[in-house]
Amino acid sequence: MSGASAAAAGPVLEPRFSYAPFALLVPLLIGACALSLLIGRTSSGPTIGFGDAAIAGPVLMEIRLPRTLLALLVGGTLGLSGAALQGLLRNPLAEPGLLGASSGAALGAVLVFYFGLAAADSVVLPLGGVAGSMAALGLLYSLAGRRADLVTIVLAGIAINALAAALTSLALNFAPSPYAALEILFWMLGSLADRSSVHVLLAAPLMLPGWVLILAAARGLDALTLGEDTAASLGFAPERTQWLVIGGTALSVGAAVAVTGVVGFVGLVVPHMLRPWIGHHPRRLLAPCFIAGAALTLYADVAIRLMPPGPELKLGVVTALIGAPFFLHLILRHGREHAA
Amino acid sequence: MTRRAAILAGLAAGVLAAAVSVAQPGSESGPSNTAAERVPRAASTPRLPTVASINLCTDQLVLHVADPAQIVTLSWLAADPDESTLAEAASRYPLNYGSAEELLRYAPDVVIAGLYTNAFTRALLRDLGFTVVDIAPANSLEDIEAQLRQVAAAIGRSEHGERLIREMQARIAGHRARLGSSPVDTVVVRPGGFTVEAPSLADELLQLANLRNLPAERGLDRWGSLSIETLLHHPPELLVFASYRDADASLANAVLAHPALETLAERVVTASVPAAMWSCGLPNSLDVVAVLEEAAEKARGARTATLSRADEGAAR
Repeated sequence: MSGASAAAAGPVLEPRFSYAPFALLVPLLIGACALSLLIGRTSSGPTIGFGDAAIAGPVLMEIRLPRTLLALLVGGTLGLSGAALQGLLRNPLAEPGLLGASSGAALGAVLVFYFGLAAADSVVLPLGGVAGSMAALGLLYSLAGRRADLVTIVLAGIAINALAAALTSLALNFAPSPYAALEILFWMLGSLADRSSVHVLLAAPLMLPGWVLILAAARGLDALTLGEDTAASLGFAPERTQWLVIGGTALSVGAAVAVTGVVGFVGLVVPHMLRPWIGHHPRRLLAPCFIAGAALTLYADVAIRLMPPGPELKLGVVTALIGAPFFLHLILRHGREHAA
Repeated sequence: MTRRAAILAGLAAGVLAAAVSVAQPGSESGPSNTAAERVPRAASTPRLPTVASINLCTDQLVLHVADPAQIVTLSWLAADPDESTLAEAASRYPLNYGSAEELLRYAPDVVIAGLYTNAFTRALLRDLGFTVVDIAPANSLEDIEAQLRQVAAAIGRSEHGERLIREMQARIAGHRARLGSSPVDTVVVRPGGFTVEAPSLADELLQLANLRNLPAERGLDRWGSLSIETLLHHPPELLVFASYRDADASLANAVLAHPALETLAERVVTASVPAAMWSCGLPNSLDVVAVLEEAAEKARGARTATLSRADEGAAR
């Protein structure tokens, strides 16, 4: 019996790790980075290049490079954690915001605004965000308990999201200045505008361990595709996989939201984009989703800079504008295939 | 953890470390670049520092305080007559949308910004070596004076700033001298059902026009918002509308078109003061007082008319 299941599980647990996706995704990402470094935006609209010699250095190194790196880190984080969560929960609707990490981070940042600390230093704002996402995770852990099943975790996540959203609008109601309230609203739509190397240095050290935790769960996630009991019988403790993914998501997504605000849709749509092509094995999906998430975010951010002159669009608006039609297309095609 | 995962994480760390180390020298060369570009100009002819503003209120402060030749750019809202009291003057300058890259191109000596707006841009501009002056929203006439002084000092126009402050103080004294006759019960209705809180700059302006700010005085408002029902229970003598983009549809403006409010408006004296005149603390904020004094006069006229009608009724 156990021999039979091991034989059946063999090809599932050891899917050939294909390098083919990288042959397309990596050039796509490099192209996105190049465009992001090259294309800027002035008062009269988009511009190519770095301006005259006096400002080319700071334009490239201080403005566009940090922005590009952050888009890469944040987009990659969202793609990676989206794929991991969809694998963990075996639910195609899962996305990084599900566990409350995003809304917790947003609440933390908004509270920093509320108490007027953000005015003192732009570093305080991201720190507030990370603290918020950690608090959300801590609450999730204490609500759901160490050995909680996935349904409990999802429901606890929904409760935490609702609580964080309610507290956020409460804070908005009491904001010290109408201007601050406006700024908070804009901030919650996500943006990479004028982030500096400070924010890269602030977010990266939290994202890196987050990625490591998620990637460490890859084999466990593959085993989970066979069901929790089978995975357990194969020697993968589901709760270990579970907390690796949740901890990794809280760290990396919390840090991402803390510096860029809530960037929607990337974590949801990227795994769906790649699955028809790469297959549904989380282990094969994780790294390509990281790269595709980074590329999607970079292209969305480049699209913002290509808009006609005006105040900058928010990143979350554009990722949804790009992602939603594609997502719909996939769903409709999926529906037709099943009907046929 | 799989070996492949470890390699990937290691690679990512390497890329990051490299990228960040590349970014670091930039932070040292950035300011010196801009400084190097600026120094020769400053050395050849002694001149006032150039100034850029990236916030609607600071745009207008700068327009009041700066020498026109100093201003290199203002924010795009400054040239919008629905938002700005100095739209025409502002439209003579290049307009910005408040991004660091734009400001690098304008290369101003001083950037004036709002305390609650563009937090990331302000931090980045400071990293780039710019002098950034943060101005909080003005909550009182005293705040306006302090801000005029602060902006003037930052752009080398202290003398002119002091003159503006003396002019303001003279106008305020003039309005105070006219106080005395009994104040007029007033409610200001702003889009979205908001009114004037106390203490605030708008409340001070009302007092200076000898108006009694009913919602604040009687504690009718909740955080500055006033329900139409409460307003109907406490009808004022004077209803002041802070009109904002009347032609554009919005939920906030729909509140002003509420039938109950229109009925009330037919019974009491009304006045309209554009929202742009309230939204920032400026020397010309006192223009509001002149408009309100006129409306108050009308309301007192209506009061005596009502009284004489009542007298006639009593006599009969």
